[in-house]
Amino acid sequence: MGSLTTGLRRDGRSSGRRSRIPLPGFAGRMMAPGLLVLAGVSLLPFAAVVIMSFSRVHLLGGLRLEGAGADNWTRLFTDPDMAWAWARTAGYFLLTVGGEMVLGTLLAICLWRLRHGRNAALSLLLLPMFVAPVIVGLLGRFLTDSTFGLYSWLLGQAGYHGDLMGDKTTAFLSVTLMDIWEWTPLVTLIALAGLTSVPSSVLEAASLDGAGMPRTLRHIVLPAIAPVLLVALLIRSMDALRYFDIIWNTTGGGPADATKTASVRLYETAFRFFDFGYAAVTGLLMLAVTTVVARYFVRLLDRKGLAR
Amino acid sequence: MTASTTGAGPLEHGGRGSRILVRVLVVTALIWTLVPLGWMLLSSFKPTAEVTAATPDVWFGPTLDNYRNLFSGGNNLGPYLRNSVVAAGCSALLATALGALAGYGLARTKARGKHHLSFWIISTRMAPIAAVVLPIFLIFRTLGLIDTLPGLVLAYLSFNLPFAIWLLNAFFAQLPPALEESAQVAGCTSWQAFRHVILPLTRPGLVTTFVLCLVFSWNDYAFALVLSGPRTQTLPIAASQLVTQTGIDWGQLTAIGTVVVVPMMLVGLAVRRWLVTGLTMGAVTGE
Repeated sequence: MGSLTTGLRRDGRSSGRRSRIPLPGFAGRMMAPGLLVLAGVSLLPFAAVVIMSFSRVHLLGGLRLEGAGADNWTRLFTDPDMAWAWARTAGYFLLTVGGEMVLGTLLAICLWRLRHGRNAALSLLLLPMFVAPVIVGLLGRFLTDSTFGLYSWLLGQAGYHGDLMGDKTTAFLSVTLMDIWEWTPLVTLIALAGLTSVPSSVLEAASLDGAGMPRTLRHIVLPAIAPVLLVALLIRSMDALRYFDIIWNTTGGGPADATKTASVRLYETAFRFFDFGYAAVTGLLMLAVTTVVARYFVRLLDRKGLAR
Repeated sequence: MTASTTGAGPLEHGGRGSRILVRVLVVTALIWTLVPLGWMLLSSFKPTAEVTAATPDVWFGPTLDNYRNLFSGGNNLGPYLRNSVVAAGCSALLATALGALAGYGLARTKARGKHHLSFWIISTRMAPIAAVVLPIFLIFRTLGLIDTLPGLVLAYLSFNLPFAIWLLNAFFAQLPPALEESAQVAGCTSWQAFRHVILPLTRPGLVTTFVLCLVFSWNDYAFALVLSGPRTQTLPIAASQLVTQTGIDWGQLTAIGTVVVVPMMLVGLAVRRWLVTGLTMGAVTGE
């Protein structure tokens, strides 16, 4: 609460020269405490990360920054490992977000067509979203363990006896499936909200015209829920780049770097090799990617009149 | 319970075959979703020897040993639980309070820079955690905030606060400004109109914001991993620490998993009606 009152007072003091402040009056005073705190936890770190990207950071014997010019940045373009990390990030991104969009939409259509028990089924299907990603990772490890994992045992019954987390391809697919398990429900939830707002008169008209189920879906339902699906896509895109808990707690980037995405690489560079300068460059690059997504998201909401 | 009932019985003309297909797909999805959770719950009640049995075992004498071990002995879960409750609770509370003020201001302001302001707020929410935790670590080290709960609360505000501002902005924007105007005509100040007219009408929004902020920070791993120390570690850290070089006590791990997961599922489902609005930050409404 301390920051709240000081924030209000600070703004109150400056309201004397209101003409120069872009946020005048009551609305401005209401925003001040929140925005000041937000500036503290976002602008300050951003400035720090920019400075770090041009420095060598020494942690031992007191924090010390030493100018490094553009060394960290030039290293970025001569580092094949980093290029691979970004390629894997792109692959992980496409598989998880793509899979979640397709499966989530399909599942939403199924739930929508369900006559009984839709609410109960949806409540159960939503549960994975509330599971901490670190638990998803550890549970995934438990299920895929080569000696006692339930899923390994099931695959064994089907004739597959490899170590899921030991092989490059299956390890990558496993962490992908864990992400899909956790976040497909979010797409289902959003798509279902779009589906229930499709007016039933439109569907009746289509049915009277003799349009079959596939054609109705293709030409009426999907176009109607396209804007909502776009929101789901953007939300998932942002989060797919945000989290790295699942990979960190299952494979830790291995085997043989097969699951080392940009986030994992950044974390390793900073907190295992203590090369904060180079990690900062990776961080800024990731920020640039998410900023593009954010830009698009705001423009989308603008069109709906929500951001103005 | 939700708006989903309004579209009851769409596409009645679907054939018998497609109705069966729909049911099969839903049941498949339910199995895929629930088996991991059910297996975790089941394993947490198993005796140690049976948790890692080579052949999956569903007939066993249930025991509370795993939970008992969690809350006794040298590695007591109690302090971790307290840290999680304090850090997540305080952060969610602060985010909701500050978010209500700022969200209201944002919804009602007519300033020209509003668009840029909205963009700045949302972009802080979307920043990759790994990219944010890095500078925050250095700043906290300088300020002596590493291994303190206020530090963790502040770090959680970096993603909870922009979320709260955006979401509550969407809730406030739905209310017509005429509401406060008439309250002011009746003699209320701007603050009184907000406090006694607007806030009570936004109670679902406030509760949803609080619950989702609570879930986000309770489930956080990356921030706590870097910013917490021996005194302030949270439940997700406790869970990951059970993974050691010498081996993993999976019985205890499934028990911790259950402790971490169940409360969030309960509070999450409690606000299910507003979940779509909440998780899309107001971009999609369920009603």
